[in-house]
Amino acid sequence: MVTRYGSSFEEDSKGRQINVGSKERKASMIGGAALAITGVKKLTQGNILSGLLMLASGGMFYNRGKSGHCNMYQKMGVNTARDVQTPIRLEKVVTINRTPQQVYDFWRDLENLPKFMNHLESVQVRGPVISHWKAVGAGGLSVEWDAEIVQDIPGQKISWQSIGEADVANEGTVRFEEAPGNRGTEVHVLISYTPPGGAVGKAAARFLQTVNAVQLEQDLKRLKQILETGVTATAESWAM
Amino acid sequence: MRAVCWHGKHNIQVDTVPDPQILNPRDAIVRVALTCICGSDLHLYNGYIPSMKDGDILGHEFVGEVVEIGSGVSGVARGDRVVVPFPIACGDCWYCKQEMYSLCDNSNPNSWAMEKMYGDTGAGIFGYSHLYGGYSGGQAEYVRVPFADVGLKKIPDQLDWEQVIFLTDIFPTAYQAAEQCGIREGDTVAVWGCGPVGLLALKSARLLGAHKVVGIDRFPKRLELAARECQAEVINYEETDVVETLHNMTGGRGPDACIDAVGMEAQGTGIEAAYDNVKQTLKIENDRPMALRQLIKACRKGGTISIPGVYSGFVDKMPMGAVFAKGLTLRTGQTHVQKYVPPLMRLVERGAIDTTFIITHRLPLEDAPMGYRIFDHKEEGCIKIVMNPLAASQATH
Repeated sequence: MVTRYGSSFEEDSKGRQINVGSKERKASMIGGAALAITGVKKLTQGNILSGLLMLASGGMFYNRGKSGHCNMYQKMGVNTARDVQTPIRLEKVVTINRTPQQVYDFWRDLENLPKFMNHLESVQVRGPVISHWKAVGAGGLSVEWDAEIVQDIPGQKISWQSIGEADVANEGTVRFEEAPGNRGTEVHVLISYTPPGGAVGKAAARFLQTVNAVQLEQDLKRLKQILETGVTATAESWAM
Repeated sequence: MRAVCWHGKHNIQVDTVPDPQILNPRDAIVRVALTCICGSDLHLYNGYIPSMKDGDILGHEFVGEVVEIGSGVSGVARGDRVVVPFPIACGDCWYCKQEMYSLCDNSNPNSWAMEKMYGDTGAGIFGYSHLYGGYSGGQAEYVRVPFADVGLKKIPDQLDWEQVIFLTDIFPTAYQAAEQCGIREGDTVAVWGCGPVGLLALKSARLLGAHKVVGIDRFPKRLELAARECQAEVINYEETDVVETLHNMTGGRGPDACIDAVGMEAQGTGIEAAYDNVKQTLKIENDRPMALRQLIKACRKGGTISIPGVYSGFVDKMPMGAVFAKGLTLRTGQTHVQKYVPPLMRLVERGAIDTTFIITHRLPLEDAPMGYRIFDHKEEGCIKIVMNPLAASQATH
């Protein structure tokens, strides 16, 4: 990277202007890798057209994230360092055959979260309300952030939000409500995150939203399995 | 180990595959002593159940001996002879606590797939597609059994394998189907399909106090067994009008309850059968509901339709008007086998019922491909095939 005197912009390794904001670059890489991986899966399933499209656009997103330069933005005269984004919300609910207090206790020990949230690599508790989260996305790209518990009502509700320079700003709330007629506890989860800058970052995030909604649903299924049965259901298979 | 593997429609092979391992603390490994081909396995054989993968191990009816248990399993020990119910159930969720084991919330790792199709998930099932969890099946030398404390039922010493093998699926399935009829004094119960489940449903309906049972099929040998072993009156649907004959047998009222022991691959006659065959072949209809339509038409007003036969997707031309106008009750579902094994095992122990009369073929596991073929084509008077993996391993070593 070279900074020229009298010049107000940075260049990528090929001498092109860096016109993509740093958070958006990361989002672009993560989204691009996810798209490319999904594309490869589609190809192996025989969906040639959509597979190739995803693979190609995934590669494009990944590269613009890595280099920081976007040809399309250049032609459009766009530079997205300071774009304001609307958050994306995911909402899921599951009923678990345990008391609200039992489910709350398991969740409140935040280091339990990676046991059922597959994208989380670790959560380290660093104080009464502060914790450090590390998540791994598609293609092995990792994002990290510190989170603070902002509301904590034992047996009923936990709310948290990311603090400081989070790669992906996010916040969440989980409520534990007793289900009628001894049916256990309704666990309501609301997670919202703000995709880092840029129209493409937003598009990639929108694409990932469907994936994430399914992920969150499966995460909550695993939470239910752990709390109800002590294990997560596993089927081994050597079928191709 | 040797195992019966699915390699596509009409392509069954016996392969050498890795032995199963304990993956969870609540797992056990069972060495299979006897296993069967189920009528519902033919739906896999004929390619009607989605989400099968090349190499999947088939089979959900098996008994055997416990050879290994995980650290979290209580109530069973190495060396125990056990019956293994075909649905995998956790025993802890709300459904299991209500003894609705086949609706278990937790045992299907691919629950998301079934939720997309059906709106919610049922229990995982051994060897029955990835929609039902992707678990390896029991037509093999060894099987991994998850939630072994719930899914293994001990066999009394004096009973041999053949006496208890049908407790894994078809006897409880037939019994649940009959129980769902809510049989009262004087009732007539008609059973469509005199295959293994149909025959045992006729017997179960008798056990539960039916005044008269009627078996419907087209194969003379099956009808003969229904008459001789189950004291059923019989109807060959290729020779007579089923609905009219049933009405004549019941004073014009119709059977009080009708059991569909046929399911999605029903055979039929005439233009209606041709219609469903064409649509199913073109994959614009999953299931051929010929038998089901007839049940609905034949059943008496206010009666019960009980459906143990398997359906997987959509059916066309359901006579919903008749269901409504006659105020019928529909009872369906996979069997809650874990609930039925203890009481039915006691019936077998007491000698109140013998289910071995349906066995027509005893094969080594290595002959499974032939077994599927003759069962599918109903050759050699085939009703029920049991297979012995030990005989298989002797043949190959």
